[in-house]
Amino acid sequence: MTTMIAGDDVYAIAEDLFAAMVDGEPGTVRPWTLPLPDWTDPVHAWVDLHGDWSGRAVVTTERATADDLARALLGLPAEEAVSEEDLQDAFGEVANVVGGNVKSLLPRTGTMGLPQVASVAPLLPGSALVTQVLLDWGGRVLELTVRDVP
Amino acid sequence: MTITRGTFAFVADLVRRRSAIVLEPGKEYLVESRLLPLARAAGLDGVEAFVAHVRRTTDDRVLEAVVEALTTNETSWFRDVAPFEALRDHVVPGWRATGRDGARLRVWSAACSTGQEPYSVVMALADAVPGLDVLATDLSEQVLERARQGVYTQLEVNRGLPAPMLVRHMARVGSGWRVGDEVRRAVTFRRHNLLDAPPAGPFDVVLLRNVLIYFDADARRAVLERVRRALRPGGWLVLGAAETTVGLHDGFEPVVLGRAPLYRVAAPVRPVPSAPVAPHRARAVPVSVVPTPAPGAGLR
Amino acid sequence: MRALVIDDSRTMRRIVARSLQGLGFETLEAEHGQHALDLLAEGPVPDLACVDWNMPVMDGLTFVGRARAEPALRGMTLMMVTTESEQSQIVRALAAGAHEYLIKPFTTDAVRDKLELLGLLPAEEHA
Repeated sequence: MTTMIAGDDVYAIAEDLFAAMVDGEPGTVRPWTLPLPDWTDPVHAWVDLHGDWSGRAVVTTERATADDLARALLGLPAEEAVSEEDLQDAFGEVANVVGGNVKSLLPRTGTMGLPQVASVAPLLPGSALVTQVLLDWGGRVLELTVRDVP
Repeated sequence: MTITRGTFAFVADLVRRRSAIVLEPGKEYLVESRLLPLARAAGLDGVEAFVAHVRRTTDDRVLEAVVEALTTNETSWFRDVAPFEALRDHVVPGWRATGRDGARLRVWSAACSTGQEPYSVVMALADAVPGLDVLATDLSEQVLERARQGVYTQLEVNRGLPAPMLVRHMARVGSGWRVGDEVRRAVTFRRHNLLDAPPAGPFDVVLLRNVLIYFDADARRAVLERVRRALRPGGWLVLGAAETTVGLHDGFEPVVLGRAPLYRVAAPVRPVPSAPVAPHRARAVPVSVVPTPAPGAGLR
Repeated sequence: MRALVIDDSRTMRRIVARSLQGLGFETLEAEHGQHALDLLAEGPVPDLACVDWNMPVMDGLTFVGRARAEPALRGMTLMMVTTESEQSQIVRALAAGAHEYLIKPFTTDAVRDKLELLGLLPAEEHA
């Protein structure tokens, strides 16, 4: 069943999200082709999916990149500080949109939880990586992972 | 960084030679935005560097890709809505009333791009006619291939496709949506240059939407004349919302059907005007208004 | 024209509201279906409600059913705006009485197209 969630599809979901809602024009994300750097100040947003298949979709990036994403979504000017509340809401919504579209790749409709945001990677003991997509957004890396729950 | 005049001139000339489409000064932003993805894909910094590369190349596919990038339009489903309602609520009943039951309605979508328009025609009309044949043509084999596949992204299906039609006529495939076989079967896609002789008609309806703007005045008249010859007497032409035949070709009679201006082939054939006509308002002047039926449910 | 935007994400409410304001709507916001019903009981009925699906307290599908069952709210056009994009979910929403369905992510152009289909906006003359 998890072969339904292909990296290409997750990449397409991310492309659509950035084109439609973040930047307002296509062509702003590309695949990140270098090795994934060690995170210095990461933030993670995720949603849990339940149903015939259960798993988790996670978006991870540096705090500064997440702030830029939040600014783009909220329409804040480039220099304005992003509050914790705004970051949680905006970055959480990114995970919501990614996760919801990942969910719709599955053969049978499941349910999805509300997004969560934290600076510590969420543990999912015993889970297996289904797919990992690395995005280059203006030279900054974002990591999208989908894991399945045993 | 804006492109230089020389760069723009080179690109405009290339496009005009290969497609008769004219990029007037003022369209520099279009050249930049449409060629930047190609530049990036070629690993180059910007449009200037890319065009320098294009000037030197002997690879015809690169030239084709440039023309392609500049001649594809933004497409949505059921664009402007009213013309599709007019076809369903006025043209088709009129066509049936002439005793054509059993005949197939023949439609030509003459600038079909990635296929949303001809598929929209099928979705709007298939229930209303005994048989429907849609010929869909475009200059670019690449967009035609996409159109034949009938697969669209979520962003593309969000553009003007009524949700009931989406669930009825399309199915999810991966992260996208695919047009169902019953709809795809009704459409034939073929490459065609509007400057060439028209496909064999006669057609009952021709859609020629938002493509005349790219031609100069002489080419527009010539294209309209070819379209008129491909339509049967009393057949209908559908243009883009801001377009008109008035002032260009008097072989068509503007008629408002419902909320949409359509253009009917006048029964006796009139000669194409040989002298330039004084400019008219861009909006069509309705000559006759067909009484509308009671407000329907729209495109539901 | 007035529109009610119902979504538990403040970010998404802001994005939807901005699109609608750009199209000439005055907007109000609610965090979930129950909040929306409370607001609707208080004031004039908006022309349009944009409804997210997954929300706490009362989800969007339930809200749609309640809005369609309430005579006072019958004139309000209901458009789901959601990541739920399975065919079966769209069918459920339409069956519950939603008039239209917009999949996230969406562009302002997409919002405009949907509102034209619904007759809430005149079709523009695209150049």
